[in-house]
Amino acid sequence: MPITALGFAGSPRRHGNSETLLDRVLEAMASEPGVEVEKVVLVDADVRPCRGCNICEKTGDCVQKDGMIPLYDRILEADCVLLAAPVYCMGLPAQAKALVDRAQVYRSRRYVLGWPVVPEERKGKRLGIYLGTAGQDWEYVFDATLASVRCFMHVAGIRERDLATLLVRSVDESGAVKRYPTALDDAAALGRNAVATLRERLGP
Amino acid sequence: MTRVMGVSGSPHRRGNTETLLDAFLGGAREAGAGVEKVVLSDLSYTSCRGCNVCHRTGICVVEDEAIPLLEAMAGVDLLALASPIYSMGITAELKGLVDRAQYLWARRFSLGTLDYPPEHLESHRGVFLSTAGSDWPGVFDAAFPVVQALFSGLGFSYVENLVYDSMDRHGGVRRHPTALAGARAAGRRLAGEGGAD
Repeated sequence: MPITALGFAGSPRRHGNSETLLDRVLEAMASEPGVEVEKVVLVDADVRPCRGCNICEKTGDCVQKDGMIPLYDRILEADCVLLAAPVYCMGLPAQAKALVDRAQVYRSRRYVLGWPVVPEERKGKRLGIYLGTAGQDWEYVFDATLASVRCFMHVAGIRERDLATLLVRSVDESGAVKRYPTALDDAAALGRNAVATLRERLGP
Repeated sequence: MTRVMGVSGSPHRRGNTETLLDAFLGGAREAGAGVEKVVLSDLSYTSCRGCNVCHRTGICVVEDEAIPLLEAMAGVDLLALASPIYSMGITAELKGLVDRAQYLWARRFSLGTLDYPPEHLESHRGVFLSTAGSDWPGVFDAAFPVVQALFSGLGFSYVENLVYDSMDRHGGVRRHPTALAGARAAGRRLAGEGGAD
């Protein structure tokens, strides 16, 4: 079985700073043998906001038939789930927040219906990676995004200790992250480490 | 007469958050204010594209209902933003509107073409109303800086939070011991203080 990674590019801007970090992590993972990676660009994925109808609390499924439907299984099947997003107005961009909110379905399955979200044999093995960029250099600039990202990973069955982050401040203009001294190397290292950890956990 | 606008960011019509907002606006009406309510799910606007053109021009290139709404919001005396907490933050609908206000941030902090004198900030007051199902300490914390960002762009001083957690335990806002009475009283008090008179 290959190791699989599913990465979400959550910025409305294509090939900007956060997506560049995501590409570097996915590249590093894909260069290892037996690893399959996939990137989903949220602006092209038709993931609409949660309607707050709470029907998933009864059915365990979402009633909105849009681009999110196939992603529900793919997120759970991935050994590593990545989310890359810039900070917009101190939070996730609305597109990425929509993805996070639609994961409410997993919460309903687990906490309302009492269903398992991931099969027993994969519990505690999967990894999450959050790649955040911000134009500001404020120490606390990622606090609000982290709260929502932790929520997303948690309901998707990824433990908080298995969520790695790479947070790069003071990158605003497109391409700025490439000039940031450590960002791209850190991203590659994050990818290699994730594969090493998953190999250890999943076995040959 | 104090002009009050309530903006509901909940996709769930007449749910806990909108009911809380209605109580606040009802209080404002009792104080004699002119009150208007906007429900974001009735409006059509897209998310910010991140094109950064507004950083150069101060103008958003996307033409839809977001910019006229933001302009109308900027024109009131008391602005009440309401959103439930979804995944530790405001809803994607309200976040979509907040992100579209980036052109105001660009004017104020990047281009320097927009300035709010202290008396403007004093007479334009913003409050945030929210409900959360859970009772986690800090469940509203991640929403506050996002709300602050919008008020800051629009030229409002962020004067108060009317936030109530544990909705699941109480069985909704109507059964919450203090939420609706608290919001109504705050609406009456804030609409009764100041404004354009």
